Amino acid sequence: MTMPFYVTPEQQMKDRAEYAQKGIARGRSLIACIYDEGVLLVAENPSASLNKISEIYDRIGFAGVGKYNEFHELRTAGVRWADSTGFRYSREDVDARSLANVYAQYLGTSFTDGGKPLEVEVLVAQLGIRNKPTKIYHIAFEGTITDETRFAVLGGDSETIRTRFIAEGDDVTSLAETLKRAVRALSGPDRSIPAADLEVARLEDLGARRTFSRLSDDLVSQLLAR
Amino acid sequence: MALPLFDVTSDPGPSFQNLLKLLNIPLSVPGATDDPIHATTVVALRCDEGVVLVADRQATAQAIAARDMRKIAEADRFTAIAISGTAAAGMEFIRISQLSFEHYEKMMDETLSLEGKSNYLSALIQDVNLGTPFTVLPLVAGFDINHNRGRVFEYDGAGGCYEKDDFGVIGSGTPFAESALRLGYREGLSLTECIELGALAIYEAGDNDPFTGGPDFVRGIFPIVVTVTAKGFVEQPEAETRAIFETINQRRTASKGRAGGDLR
Repeated sequence: MTMPFYVTPEQQMKDRAEYAQKGIARGRSLIACIYDEGVLLVAENPSASLNKISEIYDRIGFAGVGKYNEFHELRTAGVRWADSTGFRYSREDVDARSLANVYAQYLGTSFTDGGKPLEVEVLVAQLGIRNKPTKIYHIAFEGTITDETRFAVLGGDSETIRTRFIAEGDDVTSLAETLKRAVRALSGPDRSIPAADLEVARLEDLGARRTFSRLSDDLVSQLLAR
Repeated sequence: MALPLFDVTSDPGPSFQNLLKLLNIPLSVPGATDDPIHATTVVALRCDEGVVLVADRQATAQAIAARDMRKIAEADRFTAIAISGTAAAGMEFIRISQLSFEHYEKMMDETLSLEGKSNYLSALIQDVNLGTPFTVLPLVAGFDINHNRGRVFEYDGAGGCYEKDDFGVIGSGTPFAESALRLGYREGLSLTECIELGALAIYEAGDNDPFTGGPDFVRGIFPIVVTVTAKGFVEQPEAETRAIFETINQRRTASKGRAGGDLR
């Protein structure tokens, strides 16, 4: 008779974490940072149609790395959550913190029980207004949620990129300068990323109710050359 | 609320209406009140540059319930949606349509085509109208960016959608507004001429239909005038709208209230 092997809970979690981290490390990283007028989201993404960054609500943006189908599911669930909450109550009541919490709850549950852990990391960015602050919420694959006041890096190489971005300076500056710093941090000193391989979006008040907009390749090149 | 996740087989897709059903959020409130408030008379005209919409501001129950109601709304940048019928259901209808189009855009990362929007609303009208004693009759007019022209869609109470190649009219003032439009409309009208004709149609409706409000010079409340062109949805500033109605009013005063002759 064969006996099942005993695996300690510590070992089980370690294995699952390793599995998820490996999946996440396979894709390219992305960075979200606050600039003087809003929040900038920059991802290295050679695909022009499979987006990593998208709009959730009037003042909320979303970004994810890792397995595409998994963060895409989280993205659509986020849009549904936001639109139905806004419909039931009011547009003001749709809040990034609550959304980050439901994401964290879902990722946490999938990590500890159920089948395979999700190989994703996501972030929810909010452009502040009145009593709501400008914030970036970073939710890791196991459901850990951190709230960042200045910037967040997602993806496999995040520690290196993080260090590089901090080295660029710690002041909040203009859109063009922030974009340059973000792209330099993503690429590193040894290579440069062409504008076509960048996916860039921002949350900024430009007079409309919806604040999310994508930056075209042309505009990105212009800003980088400035 | 928990994260709304669905099975692949039960996924509501980009439809906001389906999503609300799956989440058990009611679309509209059924049940009768003794005398619901009614909203009336909107016209939409097509011209080369796009479309023009003009709507009166009055909502009526047994007496006038509101003098400054807004019956035209921006559904999205290139689409205007207007309502007549039960005001409460109409306002809800506008809210759901706006959200539905935005929801689709965010889910699909692509804007719904104008024809797609007008078809989507057919089903929504059936939901709102057939389940409750309240009736909403909307009008959709917009600039079709895929085909580069203005388009007008009218509906019946059961959700039937009819595209108009000249103009559309909804509400209780329809006979009067439509008569004015029939006599004044011709191919090749400019945007400004369409605005003037649309305003005249609403003036006529306000003059003859008890449920339609004309320009209110005492309170400074004027019908809303909207254009949707390649530049998008633009509501005319109040000063300009006032000037248009003042001109009509002066002409009508000079003719001692008679409308006839050279279509004034």
